[in-house]
Amino acid sequence: MTTSRFTLLSFLPRGLAVLALAVSALLSSPAAAEKSPEEAQTFIQNLAQQAISTVANQQLSDKDRNENFRRLFVASFDLPQISQFVLARYWRTATPEQQQDFVKLFEDLQVLNWAQRFKNYKGENLQVTASAKDGDKGFSVDSQLNHPPAQPMPVQWKVRQGDDGQLRVTDIVVEGVSMAITQRSDYNSLLQGNGGKIDALLAALRTKIDQMRNGNG
Amino acid sequence: MERRSCVAGFSSDSLMSKLLSGKLATVAGLVGLLFLSGCATPPPADDPDAVAEFQQLNDPLEPMNRTIFDFNDWLDRNALKPAALTYRAVTPHFVRDRIADALANAKSPVVFINDLAQGNVSRGGVTLLRFLLNSTFGVAGLMDVATPMGLPGHVADVGETLAVWGVDEGFYLVLPLFGPSNPRDAFGLGLESTLDPLSYYLADHKMRWVSTIRFLTSGLSQREAYIETLDDIKRTSLDYYSAMRSLYRQRRDAQIKDALSGEWAPADSINKRR
Repeated sequence: MTTSRFTLLSFLPRGLAVLALAVSALLSSPAAAEKSPEEAQTFIQNLAQQAISTVANQQLSDKDRNENFRRLFVASFDLPQISQFVLARYWRTATPEQQQDFVKLFEDLQVLNWAQRFKNYKGENLQVTASAKDGDKGFSVDSQLNHPPAQPMPVQWKVRQGDDGQLRVTDIVVEGVSMAITQRSDYNSLLQGNGGKIDALLAALRTKIDQMRNGNG
Repeated sequence: MERRSCVAGFSSDSLMSKLLSGKLATVAGLVGLLFLSGCATPPPADDPDAVAEFQQLNDPLEPMNRTIFDFNDWLDRNALKPAALTYRAVTPHFVRDRIADALANAKSPVVFINDLAQGNVSRGGVTLLRFLLNSTFGVAGLMDVATPMGLPGHVADVGETLAVWGVDEGFYLVLPLFGPSNPRDAFGLGLESTLDPLSYYLADHKMRWVSTIRFLTSGLSQREAYIETLDDIKRTSLDYYSAMRSLYRQRRDAQIKDALSGEWAPADSINKRR
């Protein structure tokens, strides 16, 4: 890395070189300091606590629950990254507008799905048990969902540190089943059945969201 | 032509060739007839992305599978789920837990055999210990007294054992009534009852009806346990069929990985907590 930067520098006019250095200094500023597995663990623990206090509250109206969850979800989940993974090869063939539409619809649908799940909250609590580094800037955080007397359910979180230094969730793996992988198979199968047309998937997502909003998913 | 490509997709190193002997050949022949009418059309070879996807899905019989899946779903909506909801409505949680514990305990011998066949001696030891504790102190298995002692249960089946032995899953297969499977797991499912000492005992003592009740109760108990899960999958997926296919594969892979590691992870985490 360093050698290539120096060879590049020698070809640049001096003024530009100073500018380039300033930019690279900005990019590696303390804001983007690398997070530790422990921080990833704390991040998940806080996320669970926030979800329980602001979303699982049974007194909330559906509207407030959705709003609260959307705020939490957009801030804590890496939606562009997840969207890209879920669409897989179709992400490349989608136009920027279709990509944007997908991210937005995916967000809407996930918010509705999760709000519905939290509506059935019965006092389960999430206990973070371990965390480890998982690839470049990635972490996996192990936890279990406790709801005695039932056996604890293992839940693994995939967390990634974004370019802005923030930690965000990229996947949730429940008892070995990854949500992102399941959604990818689901969506890809629909795309396949429609000759790979992204608009068909977007239409299906819109229909699904309407069904959910009307309370008969 | 299409038929050949469909069969070639799994005949090479799958279980199918091993199955084709004796009486099973007739059954395989009949199943084969079904296959002919249910083959998926492979994508054109000049689309490598689509070909890779087709192979990864590993579902050459998708049209047939979907038909069976729809039938199962119809059966579920009209019989199984209503029965499970009724079961939930008329029994207290405590009673359902006792029934689930007793059913799990009755299955222990089969789990034990599979643990050993997988070379997982310590897991087998746990299964045996659980069986002894729960059958005695737990009153014929009605109370799972072993779990609070730090000996939580696990499941192991023949399909999983075959996987540990290196048998490939073959391809995705939806069984009538039993749902998502593959030739390996379907074969394992068929073998399950022949491994069960309790089934033999009941058959020898002219008490097959107990086996029937056990089978029905087990179905009811499991369906009841999955009411919310299945509702959620159905509600959140765009294509219920592919979501279930993906879920089954992932869950199975996780179980097999677990069996291969030979550890009984849940016990560890519980012990740490105490």
